[in-house]
Amino acid sequence: MLLTVTVTLLEGFGTTLKLFLLTLVFALPLGLVISFGSMSRFTPLRCLTQTFVWIIRGSPLLLQILIIFYGPGLLFHLPLLPRFTAALLSFVINYACYFSEIYRGGIQSVPRGQYEAGQVLGMTPSQIFFRITLLQVIKRIIPPMGNELITLVKDTALVRVIGVYEIIWTGESFTKKGLIWPLFYTGLFYLIFNGGLTILFRKIEEKLDYFK
Amino acid sequence: MSVLEVRNLEKRFEHTRVLNDISFTLEQGQALSIIGSSGSGKTTLLRCLNFLERPNGGSISVNGETLFDANDPATQDERRIRAKRLHFGLVFQSFNLFPQYTALENVTLARELLSKANGSESKAEIRDAGRELLAQMGLADRASHYPHQLSGGQQQRVAIARALALHPDILCFDEPTSALDPELTGEVLRVIRNLAEQKTTMIIVTHEMAFARDVADRVIFMDGGFIVEQGDPKEVIDNPKEERTRKFLANYARN
Ligand SMILES: Nc1ncnc2c1ncn2[C@@H]1O[C@H](COP(=O)(O)OP(=O)(O)OP(=O)(O)O)[C@@H](O)[C@H]1O
Ligand SMILES: [Mg+2]
Repeated sequence: MLLTVTVTLLEGFGTTLKLFLLTLVFALPLGLVISFGSMSRFTPLRCLTQTFVWIIRGSPLLLQILIIFYGPGLLFHLPLLPRFTAALLSFVINYACYFSEIYRGGIQSVPRGQYEAGQVLGMTPSQIFFRITLLQVIKRIIPPMGNELITLVKDTALVRVIGVYEIIWTGESFTKKGLIWPLFYTGLFYLIFNGGLTILFRKIEEKLDYFK
Repeated sequence: MSVLEVRNLEKRFEHTRVLNDISFTLEQGQALSIIGSSGSGKTTLLRCLNFLERPNGGSISVNGETLFDANDPATQDERRIRAKRLHFGLVFQSFNLFPQYTALENVTLARELLSKANGSESKAEIRDAGRELLAQMGLADRASHYPHQLSGGQQQRVAIARALALHPDILCFDEPTSALDPELTGEVLRVIRNLAEQKTTMIIVTHEMAFARDVADRVIFMDGGFIVEQGDPKEVIDNPKEERTRKFLANYARN
């Protein structure tokens, strides 16, 4: 029985993991683009980006998943997106907005004197970015990023509302057979995975501890 | 020919005029001190010279080459500013060292990046030169320290070495000691005094009147964005001609 449960849960966890990793692959760079938009000196672009970020961060992810899945069909009579694609799309948009705010905080926390010191030493804007500010930004965003990734892992459970069967759904399916322990077992998957993430981020923080 | 010639420089921020009709020259090997009360435009002047601010009027020439002329758009090409900046070095009030690099790396980074572009020097040569500069600043044993492991006075001396590494024609200091505890100002002033003895061409914005008087070859007193008085430092500081200079110095003596 333990083996059957393990295999079933692993299948569900595969979906969870796939959603987690693909969200990162797309949302990490997209978030950077959005953060540039929200810091733009071109006011219309900045306002538009900030409004978009406010809408996405201010409304429930659950609602966004439902709208992206059902919206195109009901509004424009388009075919439905595949369930996993719809789930991934909503996660990418949602998390890119959260990441963009983290990036923005990190970028804006680098003192202006750092850019100016680079400028008067004749560095190009890209040299200033890659050689001076980037590492300082990374150091500052690592702790909030760690938090955000743990939230992301747990948020993946939401996709069951459009019928993407992730680990909690598979765990719950055993309650029909009168079993509660698979749910605890499910929790263990999350704990171990998030424990790993926590250790990883602590390691990165320690690596960057050599400067202040 | 003067190393630096500044003619009728003007700078406005929105509607406030921060620099008005600033004209002066600086000769090779001279040290020029700029004194003046808070808000008189001293920092803004240095920032204009280093192309961190764009003046609204006037011109800046170095060694006879016009680097900036408000009436000549050809001198304002953004892409050429980077090369023009290298005529000047700037030491900031707040050091602005790069925290993720050691003292030595702070000194060598810009020169390494430059020689990557034109391939003139090897990394080893640049490092040796950097070590030598740090030694000259009395920091030979601090080369592999990170900025947060150094005192303010040491950080500022690294910043001076960093600016010197690019061999600027004119080295500018913006109140190099005012972010330091009083017991640390001496070591930084000593380094600047040494540079003056070696005939480094410098502009030093400072509130250290005694230092300006002893070390500088010339002094400029600024008030409200104007140059009120300029000349020999002993003359200006001991026998100011202008009422405003007298008031400023009297205020100064009292504090
Ligand atoms: N970026 C800016 N925008 C608007 N006003 C500015 C800006 N920078 C400086 N100013 C104004 O210009 C004036 C001169 O400032 P500046 O910093 O050059 O004075 P300062 O002589 O260096 O003073 P301090 O001795 O306090 O350093 C001040 O009134 C200041 O408020
Ligand atoms: Mg100032």
